[in-house]
Amino acid sequence: MSIATRRRREVRDAILLVAPFLIIFGVFFLYPTYKVIALSFTDAPLIGEGNWIGLDNYIKLFSDRLFYTSVWNNFYFVLLTVIPTTIIALLIALAVGKLKGRMQALVLTLFFLPYVLPVSVVTMIWAWMLDFQFGILQPLIEAVTGKPVPVFKNPYWVMPMIAVVTIWWTNGFNVLLFIAGLRNIPDDLYEAAALDGATAWQRFWRVTWPLLWPITALVLTLQLILQLKLFDQVYLLSNGGPFNSSYVVLMQMYREAFQLNNGGYASAIAMVLFGIIVIVSVLQFQLLRIGGRRK
Amino acid sequence: MEDTGVHLRGVTKDFGAVQVIRGVDIDIERGQFAVFVGPSGCGKSTLLRMIAGLEETSGGKIIISDRDVTDFDPADRGVAMVFQSYALYPHLSVFENMAFSLRLAKRPKAEVKDKVVEAAQILQLTDHLDKKPSQLSGGQRQRVAIGRAIVRDPDVFLFDEPLSNLDAELRVAMRLELARLHQKLGATMIYVTHDQVEAMTLADVIFVLQGGYVQQSGAPLDLYDDPSNRFVAGFIGSPSMNFFNATVEDRTDTGIRARLEGQPDVAFDVDLTAPPDPGATVVLGMRPEHLVVTEGEGMRVTVDVAEELGGVSYQHGTLDGGDPVIFQQTGARHNMHGTVQTVTPQTDRIFAFTPEGDRIR
Repeated sequence: MSIATRRRREVRDAILLVAPFLIIFGVFFLYPTYKVIALSFTDAPLIGEGNWIGLDNYIKLFSDRLFYTSVWNNFYFVLLTVIPTTIIALLIALAVGKLKGRMQALVLTLFFLPYVLPVSVVTMIWAWMLDFQFGILQPLIEAVTGKPVPVFKNPYWVMPMIAVVTIWWTNGFNVLLFIAGLRNIPDDLYEAAALDGATAWQRFWRVTWPLLWPITALVLTLQLILQLKLFDQVYLLSNGGPFNSSYVVLMQMYREAFQLNNGGYASAIAMVLFGIIVIVSVLQFQLLRIGGRRK
Repeated sequence: MEDTGVHLRGVTKDFGAVQVIRGVDIDIERGQFAVFVGPSGCGKSTLLRMIAGLEETSGGKIIISDRDVTDFDPADRGVAMVFQSYALYPHLSVFENMAFSLRLAKRPKAEVKDKVVEAAQILQLTDHLDKKPSQLSGGQRQRVAIGRAIVRDPDVFLFDEPLSNLDAELRVAMRLELARLHQKLGATMIYVTHDQVEAMTLADVIFVLQGGYVQQSGAPLDLYDDPSNRFVAGFIGSPSMNFFNATVEDRTDTGIRARLEGQPDVAFDVDLTAPPDPGATVVLGMRPEHLVVTEGEGMRVTVDVAEELGGVSYQHGTLDGGDPVIFQQTGARHNMHGTVQTVTPQTDRIFAFTPEGDRIR
């Protein structure tokens, strides 16, 4: 077989192998992405063509007070979830890591279980548990505040409670990442540190923490991106209320697109959210990298 | 003078129902280079980790520098350990790896620098202090691990198979460096290996471990010349000793005359002070280097593999009865492959053992 024929075959095989992915990626990701960008410069309804209106959608958006409320709520939610969930996952992983064999697998499964549930089930469970009249958690709230609180109808309680639900739901995955990271640290290092005279606390700060840092940075970044895309829990638990106190950017996009039929405007919101996520996560990743290098 | 040696008294270790160390007494004097040697699974690494405090001691006492340290934390025992995997902190530079214990103890900066630089000079690491462990070769990493131990200025250095991750050439070079280091520092060192060549070349005193017991201890050549049982005789020396079953035919003035099983025409005189009765079964041990080719009577060996090493060659073969035999020839190119040779042992170099493996003297 000549070199030319063989090369032609290799190219043909390569194309055959890559094609399925490229086609699906193109049809279901690239084309819609292009469409959203194009739509955001038109006054199109959800279905059908619209007229080119240049940057009008963006100008309108940046003078929309509800949009600023939504962005603010998004960042408030990020603050409530990202770092707490990372710390909780790390603590759970450290504790689970001390267990042995089957016990460890069992406990890990228990922590991972909520992650398997669909969001509708999760919100249903918590809506019941926090129900104003019959919720089993109301006595707890009553014990702290002195009276039962309709948490999803109270502007001060709604965001923190959605954060609690979200952390409970997604924490298992982070625990799993941390467990994997902890298992990658060889036991010898802890033994060497013990011989060098390190206390348990010093072993954590001088061995575990720096060696786990890449995983911590990964968890923080994944969480940041995930929590900025908050929608389902808010939609199902509070629908953005009360008084827009849990209104978030994706909520606004959903309402403009699917309830008010403003496809163009909704696309512009989506584009701005995309921009925010890119900027914030790149910024965070760079900060974490610098933090990691300093150690 | 203060006794800074290491002494073990009736030390045992249980893992659940399994006892891996079954009562070990060991005395290592100050400044000695002691080697624990034995096949894998003999408990030598466990014993070392017990001295380090990384494994709990189930019974008995461990005494280091006149202190009973059996229940002490690893850091308080005055020991430093070099791990097989080196166990260097990958996120720290060579300098910080070596300075780790001093930083934990919050020593002044100047002192930290002095000690690390001094250790780096001993180990020729001065040019590598700013590098990360991943940028170093295997031998350099090994030296950093040793440096980390030196900086702690311990009473006892512990080495857990430190050379087994290195290639053969580097292993020989590092072996020499370790011997020099021991002379320079004069500290007590305990070294674990499964490689009897390392044990023979490095040790002042060897402890042969097997089945959770110390089988024999002593200077390397004492173990070689005078093994106390069949296991030690087979383990010390390379290639290992040949063993043949034999029957005591008669008592002589100085010992016994034993005839090999399956070789009715060969009998050897063995000098013994406590000779067994005629008719008893014994095991005769002969080292490959003590078997010489002869024109006269002897054991007939069919040579099937010849290992020619240049200076010496090892001829592997079988007796008529099927027992495997190795004998050594000085110089190469004997072309014995496929031939039948007659060999006979140097008479005063035959060891006798009971069938249970105890030495008959």
